[in-house]
Amino acid sequence: MRKSHPIRRVVLAGAATVSGIVLLLSLKPASDPASASAAGGAAPPAAAQESAQGGAQAAGTSTSTGDAAQTQYGAVQVRITVVGNKITKSEAVQAPQGGTSTEKTNLAVPKLNADVVAKQSPDIDTVSGATYTSEGYKKSLQSAIDKANAAASAAQPSQSASAPAQEAASKTLTGTVAQTQYGPVQVRITVANGKITKAEAVQAPSGGQSTQKTELAVPKLNAAAVAAGSADIDSVSGATYTSAGYKKSLQSALDQAGG
Amino acid sequence: MTTTLAGGRAARRQTMRRIRPRRSPAVPLVIALWAGAAAVLWLWWDNTPSLADNTAKILAAGRITGLLAGYLMALVVLQMARVPALERRVGSDRVARWHAMSGRYTVSLVIAHVFLITWAYALQAGKTLGDIVQQFMDMVTTLPDMGKAAIGTGLLVVIALLSVGGVRRRLPYDTWYHVHLLTYAVVFLTFWHQITTGNEFAVQPTAKTFWYGLYGAVTALVVWYRILTPLRLNLKHRMYVEAVIEETPGIVSVLIGGKKLHRMGAEAGQFFRWRFMAPGMRFSSHPYSLSAAPRPDMLRITVKAIGDHTARLRELRPGTRVWAEGPYGALTAQRRSRGKVLLVAGGVGITPMRALFETLPGASGDITLLYRANSTQDLALWDELAAIADERGARLMYAVNSPDGERPDISADRLRQKLPDIDDHDVFLCGPPGFAQSVYDSLRDAGVPARRIHHESFEM
Repeated sequence: MRKSHPIRRVVLAGAATVSGIVLLLSLKPASDPASASAAGGAAPPAAAQESAQGGAQAAGTSTSTGDAAQTQYGAVQVRITVVGNKITKSEAVQAPQGGTSTEKTNLAVPKLNADVVAKQSPDIDTVSGATYTSEGYKKSLQSAIDKANAAASAAQPSQSASAPAQEAASKTLTGTVAQTQYGPVQVRITVANGKITKAEAVQAPSGGQSTQKTELAVPKLNAAAVAAGSADIDSVSGATYTSAGYKKSLQSALDQAGG
Repeated sequence: MTTTLAGGRAARRQTMRRIRPRRSPAVPLVIALWAGAAAVLWLWWDNTPSLADNTAKILAAGRITGLLAGYLMALVVLQMARVPALERRVGSDRVARWHAMSGRYTVSLVIAHVFLITWAYALQAGKTLGDIVQQFMDMVTTLPDMGKAAIGTGLLVVIALLSVGGVRRRLPYDTWYHVHLLTYAVVFLTFWHQITTGNEFAVQPTAKTFWYGLYGAVTALVVWYRILTPLRLNLKHRMYVEAVIEETPGIVSVLIGGKKLHRMGAEAGQFFRWRFMAPGMRFSSHPYSLSAAPRPDMLRITVKAIGDHTARLRELRPGTRVWAEGPYGALTAQRRSRGKVLLVAGGVGITPMRALFETLPGASGDITLLYRANSTQDLALWDELAAIADERGARLMYAVNSPDGERPDISADRLRQKLPDIDDHDVFLCGPPGFAQSVYDSLRDAGVPARRIHHESFEM
């Protein structure tokens, strides 16, 4: 029956906890050494020139996935689709999740995706309220562009055939976010002359197995949407939930096109 | 003379053969607890590449406190799951103190977690510390499962406030106990936000598995040992009140009959939590020690009437059904490591000592019982004790106040004078907290090592 000293115990436990946490925090570096080297200025693959929006199955399409950039809220990884020498699509295959991060990712990533396609350069605007995610996005985007350039110079692609300009007639529509149990799915379509010329997922589940499934299913779904011209497309087996969410969001985009 | 000596030696050898002190698993359990805490911190460490600024640091501190609180919450519940290894080996009293201590610590961590996370999110959103309330409301209303978590945390704070020493003493035990049971609701309500909004769990599937495993295991243990085990025990043994006997003014014994009571595995020195199916007593259970070694057809508890509940015991009718949970308690012969034993009882603390006095193996002269009471009239069960002492050749001593009310001298010198080899004894001690503390100090002064003083105290 040792004498207990409640006050002393409280003070000791409190002091030990606070100093333990402060120690842990101080052991973490201010910036992530792994991704710091990824920052480097390289020119985007091409000057933004007049060019048509590439279809989902356009010839000369290639994708390039950047290195994952660590941010303090989690990793960001960007994949771009290059048609000819133009970025036709940019998407985040990984982005911070959990707590407010989920919200922020949902808020920022679609904007960033759109900005890349619009500016054709890694020099995009930071989304306010999602500074870290934006910075990570830019880093990973830069690395994706570098890779695309390396691949392009290795392959020496032929001059891309510029399709006739249809920009006036085409419009882009983004569907509502469809929640699935693995995360949100959001589809954006480009409609020209009443036809879907392009479909893409601006958001899709990522993290764990979801990343693989998204990578497997989304390109197929994109292609199917263009081919079918409607939301009546087949589910990709092994990615049922993502497919269902995709169809829902696609339908809402089509509804906008119709109305 | 020679034969007696030889007989004495043979008997002592036999006794020693039966003495196998079992180590309490407290040390390995505490090591496991720390290892778990380290694993939880690793979840955070592994998932956090860098901390750029103060906001990130505040957020990280909020996450660490949250993770630790989630971890400890599971353990706090586990400590009250009545797991036999804890109740019978570590000791119910010690586990209850762990529970109180880790409970207070967990509540502090939860409060720190809520404050730090809200503050960090407010800073991220470009707000100041002044907007923290608004930020809190935003989080509760927009993030998944946060509404539940906020209700749970509110409940937790209420439960914690009602458990603060001063408040708790003013509450009827039953009220306090039933409010305390709401902790299970708190655990359930706060669990989901950990999984859905917890950064570590959203990103790391292994972390999620670990968390589900931890909470699942605790739930299983609670269901098994707090519900199924007592259910089986009572269906099997079907206990009822056989008789109520007044031992001395204010002290009653309750004799409890039932089927195959020796199969319950109860040992002398242990207790059950008793619930009597009589009006006004149905909804609370109380721990009372067995005051005699269990017999196949009967158990006996002896209780001092100090509260409402204990006073009502006197009016129990024979035949009243009894619901018991147990046996619990580690103050048993298993603690013993020496041939000689001194039992010290204060007041109604005699109950477990009486059972041990009867059953502890030992040769003539090995067992001594020191019984402290206010007056000789208050020496409950004295005739039985005298009979046992006679039969076993054990020593029986009492210490009561002198007629002018002066307290008896139980000092180190006095103890040594009565038992010159007291430092070679195991001492079992049971009594009111002040008494236990002063005897403990005297025993230590008399040279008894702390590891050989076995006591049970339910003071927090």
